[in-house]
Amino acid sequence: MIDRTMPSALLVRDLQKRYGTVLAAQGVSFDIRAGEVFGLLGPNGAGKTTTIECVLGLREPDAGEITVGGVDARRQPAVVKEKIGASLQATALQDKITPREALTLFGSFYARGVPAAELIDRFALGDKADAPFDSLSGGQRQRLALALAFVNRPEIVVLDEPTAGLDPSSRHELHGEITRMRRDGYTVLLTTHDLDEAEVLCDRIAIIDHGRIVATGAPHELVAGSRNAQTVSAIAAGPLAASDFADLAGAEELTVDGSMVRCRTTAVTRTVTDLMARLDARGVGLVELHVQKATLEQVFLELTRDAGVQA
Amino acid sequence: MKGLAAQLASTLRLHFRNRMALIYGYLFPTIFLIAFWVLYRYDQVPLVRHVGELLTVTVLGGACFGLPTTMVSERERGVWRRYRLTPISIGAIVASTVAARYVLVVLAGLLQLALAMAVGMPMPQHPLELAIAFTFVAFAFLGMGLVIAMLADNVPAVQALGQCIFLPMLIIGGVAVPLASLPDWAQHVSAFFPGRYAVQALQSTVTTAGIGTARFSLLALTLIGLAGCAAGAVMFRWDAGERFSRRRGRSGVLVALAAWAAVGVLAETRGSIGAPASGRATAQGGSEQPPSAAASGETAPAVTPAPVTDGTLSPTRSGRALTIHATAAEQEAARGRSASGAGRETSPASAPPPSAPAPASAPEPAPASPPPGNTPAGPALPASWQAVTPADIDREIVFTRLPPDEGVVTPIATSDEQPETDVADEVELLKSLLPTWPPAKVADPVQRVRNYLYVMAVPDIFQMQTERFIPPVVFDRLEQEFPKNDLIKILFWIALTPYEGDDKAVDQMQPFGIQNGPPDANELRNRSAIYAVKLLGRLTGKRPGK
Repeated sequence: MIDRTMPSALLVRDLQKRYGTVLAAQGVSFDIRAGEVFGLLGPNGAGKTTTIECVLGLREPDAGEITVGGVDARRQPAVVKEKIGASLQATALQDKITPREALTLFGSFYARGVPAAELIDRFALGDKADAPFDSLSGGQRQRLALALAFVNRPEIVVLDEPTAGLDPSSRHELHGEITRMRRDGYTVLLTTHDLDEAEVLCDRIAIIDHGRIVATGAPHELVAGSRNAQTVSAIAAGPLAASDFADLAGAEELTVDGSMVRCRTTAVTRTVTDLMARLDARGVGLVELHVQKATLEQVFLELTRDAGVQA
Repeated sequence: MKGLAAQLASTLRLHFRNRMALIYGYLFPTIFLIAFWVLYRYDQVPLVRHVGELLTVTVLGGACFGLPTTMVSERERGVWRRYRLTPISIGAIVASTVAARYVLVVLAGLLQLALAMAVGMPMPQHPLELAIAFTFVAFAFLGMGLVIAMLADNVPAVQALGQCIFLPMLIIGGVAVPLASLPDWAQHVSAFFPGRYAVQALQSTVTTAGIGTARFSLLALTLIGLAGCAAGAVMFRWDAGERFSRRRGRSGVLVALAAWAAVGVLAETRGSIGAPASGRATAQGGSEQPPSAAASGETAPAVTPAPVTDGTLSPTRSGRALTIHATAAEQEAARGRSASGAGRETSPASAPPPSAPAPASAPEPAPASPPPGNTPAGPALPASWQAVTPADIDREIVFTRLPPDEGVVTPIATSDEQPETDVADEVELLKSLLPTWPPAKVADPVQRVRNYLYVMAVPDIFQMQTERFIPPVVFDRLEQEFPKNDLIKILFWIALTPYEGDDKAVDQMQPFGIQNGPPDANELRNRSAIYAVKLLGRLTGKRPGK
């Protein structure tokens, strides 16, 4: 689906930004291909928002390079703004402006504005198109914010914490919307700290912590490449004793509870082979056997914890 | 350009959907108009001399509160952050916000002018120049509004900062209180506020020679406006959290303050700090009362006089201790007592101490004074006006206690004092109408003199422009009409009996532009009696006029 030979839709290289004594970004680099949904993950204060704001031209970086569709964002911010559509956290508009007016107004700021009616239709705002902003629900406001991100037929869409503060159904709706963006071929950069969301929505993610990118890749690659242990659990046909499993090959944090044995291991094959051999030696039948990969959350915690220690 | 126009249109549209903004933008100016009208309704042509003040207040409100409130609340809520993602420039957003506000204050100004003309104000003399002056004023004040918007982090801060500029400008900046009413120090302070220049520039196009006479004011407004815009640009912030760097912020404020200071210093060095040429104040010297005082309808609070014990008319009260408001009941009781006093009352003509020039010390009838019969040492007073003797006058009147002619109570212009043209016209009109005025034709000479005295007293109570110029006209008329000796006796008699006779004449003053008499009849009688004594002083040579 993603053409790796295409030029970068967004390239960030060695971005640096300091606030007083705090280094909010210290050499952030990533590269988003056209048509890719790219997630920027990180704990609060990791530098996600600073990075996004530098990309959007809301902040001037101290150093580094930002290129959007081949255009230097720091030298030609006005050109770049024509190419980017963005939805920031907590987008606010004037109380009495209606979605139709807002879309028309913002469309007029761009060289190629999309007609308001088209966006109202696409983002299902028809019922509230002429209602004042202060009468819209959270989900409707979020849809309007997304619609506003599309008023200029953007080449790249930047969504900062798009699902923060939404109820489950609005969130589900938004996920559908982002999936649709991917299908329509939009390039999307989104930030989130919801790992499930990132895993479902993103082609690739970058994990940022303390102003540095600590890992980049497709979610399954990150999990696969993790040093993190997998979990092995087995349920036997009869009761087990902890002493039977002493020094089980590769096992850590082993627990035995009635007929169930569970441990973590970084050498799954060795651990499972040894476990089967011991059960067989004691003549106990196997009822269930599970091997569970590390979750993205575990990867995330591992990476950000390590980075924290390093820092 | 397309974006700017769309933003301007959107700002205007949203403004008209915001109820609070409409109240601030249009209801308040209307209330100001009504307040000014109430204050100056007795002017021959109401409001025309106050258009400058009125419009300045409107622009000031729109600039000090309207503009920064809109800007700060949008910034606070993150609306500007959203705009910032688009290619529209800072300049375009600020320009369209300011332009929208300009349109709004122009509309408010037109509303005020229309209402003012509906209640009798004539068309301004130079409408086009008025529009130009209005634009200069709006530029200066909107520049100030930008500085407020950039300094304030939130809407309450706008209110606080706005009031810091609005109130001083209203009170000691020559906007709501005419400059001539202000003490000397305040006139110098006012040179550092744009308000007086705004009033002067606007007023010059309404009643006087035109904008050409207000060049310095236009220069001052331009300087202040430019400084405001420059400071606003230096201090610009997209969101409240974005702390403008201290040095830049400070330099922005310094730019604005420096411009204000420069204008003030310039004005001082030009020596243009006296009351402005076009102001009503020139004619009135420093004697005018703040409209705010008059607005309460309380021209002169009642004073309870001390009993007169020595049989003379000189008051024994002293200073402020006696400026006590008499309750209605006390006044009523007092009136009852005086009615039983054999028609003989101590005259109020004895004046308040010169040290208390405010109307608060205006004399009240002396109802509490005991009837002469109760004063053991007092010689008998004449039984009728014809029986008055010079000895009675010498004995009863202390001319040195009269309020000064240049003061607030019963003022009289000096012979070399020249009224402004329009005031002179009104006085001239009155002079021509006086001989045919029905109350000046009543048979009873005492009543006739009383009626003439009301012609002076009513404008005095209402603090009309003409108040100090009417007495010389009336004095001349009285001297022409009555033999000198009779006039002396009648005036003395009126001073002794200020509450006798009737005051129907005050309801017949429409030819002089006065629709109804003053609410307080006692006040009317007091002022009439003081004028009587003042003329008496002139006729007897005991208190010659200047």
